[in-house]
Amino acid sequence: MSAGADHGHGSDFVPRRFVLAQFGTSDALLEGTRRIREKGHKKIDTHSPYPIHGLEEALGLGRPKIPAIVLMGAIAGVCAAYSMMYYMNVVDFPINVANRPGHSMPAFIPITFELAVLLGGSSSFFGLLIGLLGFPEPYHPLFELDSFKKAAIDGFFLSIEVPQGGNQDGVIADARQVGALNVEAVEESER
Amino acid sequence: MSAPATSPAGDLTTDPVDPRPFIEGTQTDQTINDTLLHHVFRGAGKGWWACFAVALAMLGCLVVALTVTLVKGIGAWGNNIPVGWAFDIINFVWWIGIGHAGTLISAILLLFQQKWRTSINRFAEAMTLFAVMCALLFPLIHTGRPWFAAYWLLPYPSVQGIWPQFKSPLVWDVFAVSTYFTISLLFWFLGLIPDLAALRDSATSKVKRTIYGMLAMGWRGSGRHWAEYKWAYLLLAGLSTPLVLSVHTIVSFDFATSVMPGWHTTIFPPYFVAGAIFSGFAMVMTWMIPARQFLGLKHVVTMRHLENMNKVMLATGMMVSYGYIMEHFIAWYSGNQYEFAQFFEVRQKGPLAPIYWLMIFCNVVTPQIFWFKRMRTSLAVMWVASILINVGMWCERFVIVVISLHRDFLPASWGSYAPTWVDICLFTGTIGLFSTLFLLFLKFVPAVAVTEVKELRHETEHDAHIEASLTAGVTGGSH
Repeated sequence: MSAGADHGHGSDFVPRRFVLAQFGTSDALLEGTRRIREKGHKKIDTHSPYPIHGLEEALGLGRPKIPAIVLMGAIAGVCAAYSMMYYMNVVDFPINVANRPGHSMPAFIPITFELAVLLGGSSSFFGLLIGLLGFPEPYHPLFELDSFKKAAIDGFFLSIEVPQGGNQDGVIADARQVGALNVEAVEESER
Repeated sequence: MSAPATSPAGDLTTDPVDPRPFIEGTQTDQTINDTLLHHVFRGAGKGWWACFAVALAMLGCLVVALTVTLVKGIGAWGNNIPVGWAFDIINFVWWIGIGHAGTLISAILLLFQQKWRTSINRFAEAMTLFAVMCALLFPLIHTGRPWFAAYWLLPYPSVQGIWPQFKSPLVWDVFAVSTYFTISLLFWFLGLIPDLAALRDSATSKVKRTIYGMLAMGWRGSGRHWAEYKWAYLLLAGLSTPLVLSVHTIVSFDFATSVMPGWHTTIFPPYFVAGAIFSGFAMVMTWMIPARQFLGLKHVVTMRHLENMNKVMLATGMMVSYGYIMEHFIAWYSGNQYEFAQFFEVRQKGPLAPIYWLMIFCNVVTPQIFWFKRMRTSLAVMWVASILINVGMWCERFVIVVISLHRDFLPASWGSYAPTWVDICLFTGTIGLFSTLFLLFLKFVPAVAVTEVKELRHETEHDAHIEASLTAGVTGGSH
């Protein structure tokens, strides 16, 4: 728990250190988050069992990235579907049924729509979980704290990553100052 | 309205339209967590095992019927020219229609900000998945040799160099139904992730903690994650909404684009979608009434939820009835003698007329009882009505598929139809498959979206506090 540079014995592993602060209510968490950010802490995050209104502002987050990902997925679906049908039914193997045209836009609409939804929806799911959230992420240092279990049940937490070489005790003091009920520190374990 | 700071969990809310709360009793996040996860952690009771045994027995029927179908071919079924489609397509349309209520509840009601969806969406979404699985089975096996079906249905670069004909609604169906299943699965699982984390952190045994922990993939309720998650969920809902409408529209195109009297109808797409939602709500009701009793969910699935569902059934039942009326009107108004004969002679007076009249009774007459509040709030009445509606919707598909086909243009090509035991076993078997999967779902996954109920409780509490502080003329206030 020493604040100094404790880099193990020759290994490159530098454990990340976190301070976890528990708040009594969601309003206290929002207020605490806002104030801790004003104190200049950069790597902060909140943990709550459900999304809390106003959290994005408190954390100072920008616009969400997922809509652009989904839009790209949907456009890719439209292009893939239409070009697939055009190639197969017009270019590669046109089937002449009663001299109807090979390229028939109305008949190509349903599958174009379905593939837009399929790729758009899939990019929403995979883009979120794998692309933006980096899941599956079975280990996170915070999981080592028993009290953190309440984050998925009924607890409101603020976590602050202590910068490399930073003063952990200072972060703990800041967390107490902004109204945390209970403050703990945890260090990443080497795996 | 100016009642002193009624606790949000108190008896009534300040909603002027309907003051009954969506979550009954005094609840905290912890009590919601405990009561909604309880049925996952407790051992399976005798009732569950009894139901599961029946479901497995019915699933056995499916295994037998599938084996016979694959060994002997689809000649083991009762359909033959002129009735080339029968139980296979009836059951396909029936099951996929049942699935649609899940998407309606989870996606469309989310976009319309209907808060009552929160207690029933998980349940209905699971129903969607299992119903679509049952539905998918039928088009697959009705090809006769399902192991070749991939060549015929999907654009696969086979040595024959032939591609699917994309102007055929049957090919649209393949894309629509497989997209529908995939998106429903992703939507369901995305909603489940925070609940899996709650399960992981509430579990007492290491095995459960590990399994639910793996499924939760490391969810830690991060605010940065929630910010993107909310959007991803909303976008999936936004995509699912037109998707669900498109799926049953395309299913109806399988019929409507033909020239068969009784099929060649422009009202089919909206009428199929309404019927799908109608039957899906009925199926949710059939399962929800016993489940809320046995799983201890009465405080979150309240009478108000059930009453709302009955109102939806009344509304969609009226839309279906309107569809019937328009079909008959157009048959008369078009002056087409084949259409007229199909609707006014064959269906009403033909050899299979009893099924038509059963359909009218179940789908047109039965939902009318929901005009009366006493009926809308009686569990026995709504449970029986929900079963009748499902019977009626199955009859509707029978009427459309079989009755249309067995009397077409030329009297010389008329025929009759009767299912074989394999047909009946297959249908019973899919009910068994659905029930088995559903019972497993009720055992291992929270039947109600725990996270969303907590969020709803939190919002309600917050609103009540703001209102209370406004009326009291003071600011702030502690929880």
